[in-house]
Amino acid sequence: MTLFHFGNCFALAYFPYFITYKCSGLSEYNAFWRCVQAGATYLFVQLCKMLFLATFFPTWEGGAGVYDFVGEFMKATVDLADLLGLHLVMSRNAGKGEYKIMVAAMGWATAELVMSRCIPLWVGARGIEFDWKYIQMSFDSNISLVHYIAMAAVVWMFTRYDLPKSFRLPVTVLLGLCVYKAFLMELFVHVFVLGSWTSLLVKAVLTGAISLCSLFLFITLVHSN
Amino acid sequence: MFEEASEVFENMLKSSFPLTFIVFLPAVLILVSPLPAEAAHEFTVYRMQQYDLQGQPYGTRNAILNTEARSVDAEVLSRRCVIMRLLDFSYEKYQKALRQSAGAVVIILPQNMSTMPQDIVQQFMEMEPELLATETIVPVYFALEDEELLSIYKQTHTTSSSQGSASAAEVLLHTATANGFQMVTSGAQSKAVSDWAITSLEGRLAGEGGEDLPTIVLVAHYDSFGVAPWLSYGADSNGSGVSLLLELARLFSRLYNYKRTRAGYNLLFFVSGGGKFNYQGTKRWLEDNLDHTDSSLLQDNVAFVLCLDTLGSGGSLHLHVSKPPKEGSPQHTLLKELETVVSEQYSDVRFSMVHKKINLADDTLAWEHERFGIRRLPAFTLSHLDSHRSALRSTIMDVRSVSALEGEGEVRDGPHVELRTLSRNTKIIAEALARVIYNLTEKGAPADLQIFTEQMQVQEEQLSSMVDWLTAQPRAAQLVDKDSSVVSTLEYHLGRYLKDVKKHYVKADKRDPEFVFYDQLKQTMNAYRVKPAIFDLLLAVCIAAYLGVMYLAVQHFGLLYSVVRRVTQPRTKQH
Repeated sequence: MTLFHFGNCFALAYFPYFITYKCSGLSEYNAFWRCVQAGATYLFVQLCKMLFLATFFPTWEGGAGVYDFVGEFMKATVDLADLLGLHLVMSRNAGKGEYKIMVAAMGWATAELVMSRCIPLWVGARGIEFDWKYIQMSFDSNISLVHYIAMAAVVWMFTRYDLPKSFRLPVTVLLGLCVYKAFLMELFVHVFVLGSWTSLLVKAVLTGAISLCSLFLFITLVHSN
Repeated sequence: MFEEASEVFENMLKSSFPLTFIVFLPAVLILVSPLPAEAAHEFTVYRMQQYDLQGQPYGTRNAILNTEARSVDAEVLSRRCVIMRLLDFSYEKYQKALRQSAGAVVIILPQNMSTMPQDIVQQFMEMEPELLATETIVPVYFALEDEELLSIYKQTHTTSSSQGSASAAEVLLHTATANGFQMVTSGAQSKAVSDWAITSLEGRLAGEGGEDLPTIVLVAHYDSFGVAPWLSYGADSNGSGVSLLLELARLFSRLYNYKRTRAGYNLLFFVSGGGKFNYQGTKRWLEDNLDHTDSSLLQDNVAFVLCLDTLGSGGSLHLHVSKPPKEGSPQHTLLKELETVVSEQYSDVRFSMVHKKINLADDTLAWEHERFGIRRLPAFTLSHLDSHRSALRSTIMDVRSVSALEGEGEVRDGPHVELRTLSRNTKIIAEALARVIYNLTEKGAPADLQIFTEQMQVQEEQLSSMVDWLTAQPRAAQLVDKDSSVVSTLEYHLGRYLKDVKKHYVKADKRDPEFVFYDQLKQTMNAYRVKPAIFDLLLAVCIAAYLGVMYLAVQHFGLLYSVVRRVTQPRTKQH
């Protein structure tokens, strides 16, 4: 709409990242470059994913409005590479678990924010036309920050050698949920024909639930020994 | 291996990533930023007429529009785009908008004019000349209604009418929920079209018997006129006249095909352009024929000139003359023959002669025959209208509507073409002309003799397809250039029946143009959904509050952490 509107959206999208970075104590660890490296790994992983998708997944040529369940599921499976990438980032960093998780998640989410939301915001929110979707996009970026923190935590737990047997199943389930969350959301929206605000709310609730579960597991794991 | 790869990757990025980040990103942003945003709605708008006639400007003088939409009830209209529907359009509201220095006016017309109540159509028709009479500084556009446009109008209407009456809280709530619309046209400013050529066509049928035969000239102008050129289809005025003329050409060409039935008159057919702009095509044609060439049919023996104008409906026929024809002149003969044919064969038709002197002080001539009258050629116009001031002759409501196609005999007050009436008029004129050229009355033929029957009868399908084709596209003089399909199809049809079909072009004089047309008559308009500035502020406050809450939540994340820990601790102890 105006530059002011762009400012609004930008603030809404970026400030939570800044706050998280400052308050989680990452700034005290001088973790900035570590985060940037994590972001670079994000770029690398996305590139690989794109190449893979472009090579092995032909474009879906079904009729409009038909949901290609299997195809979308297979595409979501490629997101497993994200887990590998996060693991790669965390294995490169030495330090406490929280620190590793936060660095990986922050770098990862920030890179995603810069790469996939910055330009649409700049182009769209500054135009004459007003649309709520830019505000929604900014909220969505906040949700994805939480999502990546939870995901990094789950990956970290999963790759621990001292993970108790009883934890194996819930952690794996959470891991699966994290990977297929986008797919599930799409399915939800498709099946229940949700509006954009409702689907955002559902996404927030789902992400909140996943991250709360992983927080439970994390705390239990960290303080059990 | 993985380790190595990532190390290389890492080193590479360490050295160059900030650089690329700093250089590359702004470059991309600058490149991408001027992309236009997708519009909420895009629709075609037709601009009001803009032309100069004899140095006098008419219509709107502007084409650029980039303002917020308001409906006419809003309190402040200055520099706003006022949108109105035809249903609630009135001259007072239009004037009010202009007085309050509105930025533009957009009038939404229904897709199908025939669904409108007749009084509104009539009222709008009468307003059209008034809208054009004075020059308007701001752009005036017409748009055809669709669902999106209607919803835009409704939203604008509620926004505009709720202003000033609600409480502060209501207004605040309203700004968040209601939409404003920014109307933007994509085109450039309108400018005069140079060297525009108006095309007229002539063709003839040569008579038999002697050198110096008298000539009968039949004239109809083909162009249409309305408040917006792109919306003027001109079915009755003058699609009916042109199709009637072409049908006459067909009928008489059959008679003139055989030497035996050829009459002692030359028939000259003229389809003139620029008829709504003071008969520019006719004027030039007369100048070319009378002043510049040595031999022309018009120079020698012209019996009379019969102009056909608006003959597609109504129960009456009027012969408009500038001076009453003298007894014994061919003009008088035709008048008598018309009277005979009407009284003997079509007694339900009211026929009369209307006498109006040429007023040279007027800006425009009343009827086409006055162009000939000025040049001392005996001429008259046949029309179902009793006055040249009739709004029917210059309205965008003059379309070929579906109900007229069915011809169910229903009475409509609005402009339309009734095929039955049109073919009846064709028959009357053809019979009367035939009686004149074959001198039937003097030869003692009965008054109810019908010539155009059976093989020779007036073909209603022919007339119908001509009218359909003529009204399939707007034929405003600004839109029909010399290569347009209207001209070439007219030329083809004339060429089928007539000899020596010629085109005549009129271009306005460069120094002192008699007429100037302007472009940008059809444009694409975008309606962008916008919010008022106060909404941005409100949003900023909300976002600031949200961020504050987020800050507190992140700051006190430890609380949640310890709560969860306390919950999980006892269970882990039980392990």
